Amino acid sequence: MKKKKRITNRTFLLTAVIGSLLVIAMVTVNSIWSSNQTRLETDEAVSAVSRFYLDTMADRRAQTVSNQIDNEFNQMEKALVFIKDEKIESQEELRETLGKIKNLLSLNRFALVDQDDVVYTQYTTYTGKSRHEFLSEEKMDDRIISTVSLYGSSKQLCLAIPTPDLTIMSKPFKACFVQIDIKEIIDLLAVDDQGRTYFALYSKNGSNLSGTELGPIISDQNIFEATKEFVSEDVWKENFNRFAEDTRGSMTFSSGDVKETLCYVPIWGTGWELAVLIHESVILDQIRDISEKNLSTNRNQIAFTLLAVLFFSAVLLQELRALSKYELDAEKEASKAFQNMASTDSMTGVRNKHAYSEFENALNQEIQNREIQKLAVVVCDINGLKYINDTQGHAAGDQLIKEASTMICNYFIHGAVFRVGGDEFVVILQEKGYDTMDEVLGELNEKVEANIKENGVVVSIGSSVLQPGDQQLHDVFARADHMMYERKKELKSMGAKTREI
Amino acid sequence: MQKVFRKLHLVILVLMLVLVLAACSSASQTVGTGETASPDDSTDTADIPSKEDTPKEVEPVSSVVDFDHELDSYIPQKDHYSFYFTYKTVHPWWDAVALGMEEAQRQFLDKGITVTYEYMAPERASADDQTKWLLQAEHENYDVIGVDVADESVISPVIDGMADAGTKVMTFSSSDAAEGCKRIAYVGNTHNYEDGAGLTEALCEKLGYKGKVAILVGSKGAPCHEDRAEGARDTIAKYSDMKIVATEYDMDSVDQAYELTLKILKDNPELDGIICCNMSNPVGAARAVKETGSSAVIVGMDHDREALRYLDEGVIYCLGVQDCYSIGFDTLQVAVKIADGNMPGELFPEKTNEITTVIYQKDAALMLELLYGDI
Repeated sequence: MKKKKRITNRTFLLTAVIGSLLVIAMVTVNSIWSSNQTRLETDEAVSAVSRFYLDTMADRRAQTVSNQIDNEFNQMEKALVFIKDEKIESQEELRETLGKIKNLLSLNRFALVDQDDVVYTQYTTYTGKSRHEFLSEEKMDDRIISTVSLYGSSKQLCLAIPTPDLTIMSKPFKACFVQIDIKEIIDLLAVDDQGRTYFALYSKNGSNLSGTELGPIISDQNIFEATKEFVSEDVWKENFNRFAEDTRGSMTFSSGDVKETLCYVPIWGTGWELAVLIHESVILDQIRDISEKNLSTNRNQIAFTLLAVLFFSAVLLQELRALSKYELDAEKEASKAFQNMASTDSMTGVRNKHAYSEFENALNQEIQNREIQKLAVVVCDINGLKYINDTQGHAAGDQLIKEASTMICNYFIHGAVFRVGGDEFVVILQEKGYDTMDEVLGELNEKVEANIKENGVVVSIGSSVLQPGDQQLHDVFARADHMMYERKKELKSMGAKTREI
Repeated sequence: MQKVFRKLHLVILVLMLVLVLAACSSASQTVGTGETASPDDSTDTADIPSKEDTPKEVEPVSSVVDFDHELDSYIPQKDHYSFYFTYKTVHPWWDAVALGMEEAQRQFLDKGITVTYEYMAPERASADDQTKWLLQAEHENYDVIGVDVADESVISPVIDGMADAGTKVMTFSSSDAAEGCKRIAYVGNTHNYEDGAGLTEALCEKLGYKGKVAILVGSKGAPCHEDRAEGARDTIAKYSDMKIVATEYDMDSVDQAYELTLKILKDNPELDGIICCNMSNPVGAARAVKETGSSAVIVGMDHDREALRYLDEGVIYCLGVQDCYSIGFDTLQVAVKIADGNMPGELFPEKTNEITTVIYQKDAALMLELLYGDI
């Protein structure tokens, strides 16, 4: 059978300490990893959130511009209906009508164009073919939306509607149009968000149409000229093509510590791209604040948990040790009691033959090692026990044994008393018991001799001390036993009862 | 003992659960994915045409055109004015003049004075058409009639006739009437001859005062174009190694200017320079020179967007830019004063001089931004 490994206190403590350290290390590493992962993923999440936020914002603003364009077209249609109903006969009446339209429909720069490309506004009439690009179109079938760059860098949105059925002053008119300053459109989009977002309108080649600044890096420059050095060639080309193809997209770029994300969406019919830009730091700072607070809370929780683990582990270890000790002591006590039970004579309460054998073995070792000097063996034998058993019964015999044992114990108070046979006791004397042996033996023998006359307990006693030549306790015992038999004869002569009587 | 271990296991289990939950709570706030375009150091530099430095000091480009105008302190006597303006031909140059006029009109309106006007031109420059339009306008009761003279020999007598009939006539923008004409005042370029001479001087300097050149002119008889051509011819005449090999009129048509330049280059493959006297000349000339790969140096007039781009590319050497916006603004302001019966003197000069600035290749980009918002 395999021998079980013994678990010592040291092993237990070592296991507990290594286990605790491992748990702490795992929790710490996990916390650091989680923290770093959180930061990384927060950055990624910020990019995603930024784009989503900008996408939504760009869509809303593009929709606002589209709505404005639709509204302008609707007003122009109403203006045409109004003009048709007016029955205009002269240029003065036409100018007056255009003035009414301005007041009624808020069309500030509404103009009509006749078949000779002469433009009529509220205050001027001019030949406009070179000034308005849409007039160079051979045929106007539908609404036209175009961007006009005026001398002096002003940029305007031109909305034109063909008017095939319009005749004024007997002249056929080919179109009406309005030109809206792009800055006015930008005013519609302005939102006071404390400079967190920027937006601008761009032509397909990336030229800024609105004159608004798209953040500090791009500013009011051509969007592609400005970003060329901050993004990879692939990203740059991809976005350049998206602009040219009038599709939506997004781009993130960094310059120094500044990280910016922009989203752009086409505005239907205009050939424009509306770009919205946000400093990622704006969202990042906010998310990081929240994240840092959470991380800080988690760090505290983990630290607190670790402390709690350490504390409870220590308490548990302590309790475990205490419990183990208690159990161990209990076991020892039980073992001791069991051992005592096995070594004690149940009748007299002194140690029995088994205890004597163990004690003898232990003493033999010491005798052989010459570790012991003072050792004496006293052999006691109860006289007349058989006689009492036979004549008065075993109970009386047992009583005699008990009385004899008590008498022996009372005299040899510094000795170890063993009942080694039915009527035989051995007393081992060491140290003080050895020193007082002769005196005690004298007193005991006197008592025994007195008991012969008084019909009391009579015990034959023989004794011997350890001699230099003795190899074992039995050597001493043999001499004492021999002496005991001599004494028994002597006592018989004094009238003491013997087995034979 | 067994009971103790059971309790111990339970406590450890609870603690591990707490730890796992703590770890999970720190990881659970990381959501979402995103794609971030990483910055790249690579640069894709576009080909930039070489820019030649201007050979002489010029005025800052920002002062070439003055867009910042305010009406002077003159108080108009009426609250409504009606004018008629006619100019040589439909062309972007006069559209720039129109913008200055419109600004003045807006400023008058802000003061409660309504100014209405017609600003008309034929498809092609024609003194006959201009005469017809002027005579029609004479009967329309305008306060003032303004004219950019298409041909001074034809139009000056017409103006005189109108003035004799009591019509207030002024000239404006590029061309004045003939000396002694009865027009009340002129607002515009008064130094066309000098502009032509100046551009030609710059060309001669560039060519080292040696070479064959051609002159492109706009409309035949248009004083401003003819004066510039004369200034060019006189300048070339000063240098014995300079020779004029051709003089052509494009009638203010870019397409014509292109065709004429191709023909000149074909006839004179070793042509060293082209002097362009109006706005359409340099655009057509630059197209042809670029297309043929000729090394002819182009000098020309005005601020056409395409011409400025050719200047930016290095196809054109220099351009004389007139301040059209100021011409338009001042024209309307002077017209109001004339309508009120004022004559040249303290309120306005008989000839309001407007500036022309020669700009070179290095100024082209800024000029494009200034005039057309090309960024």
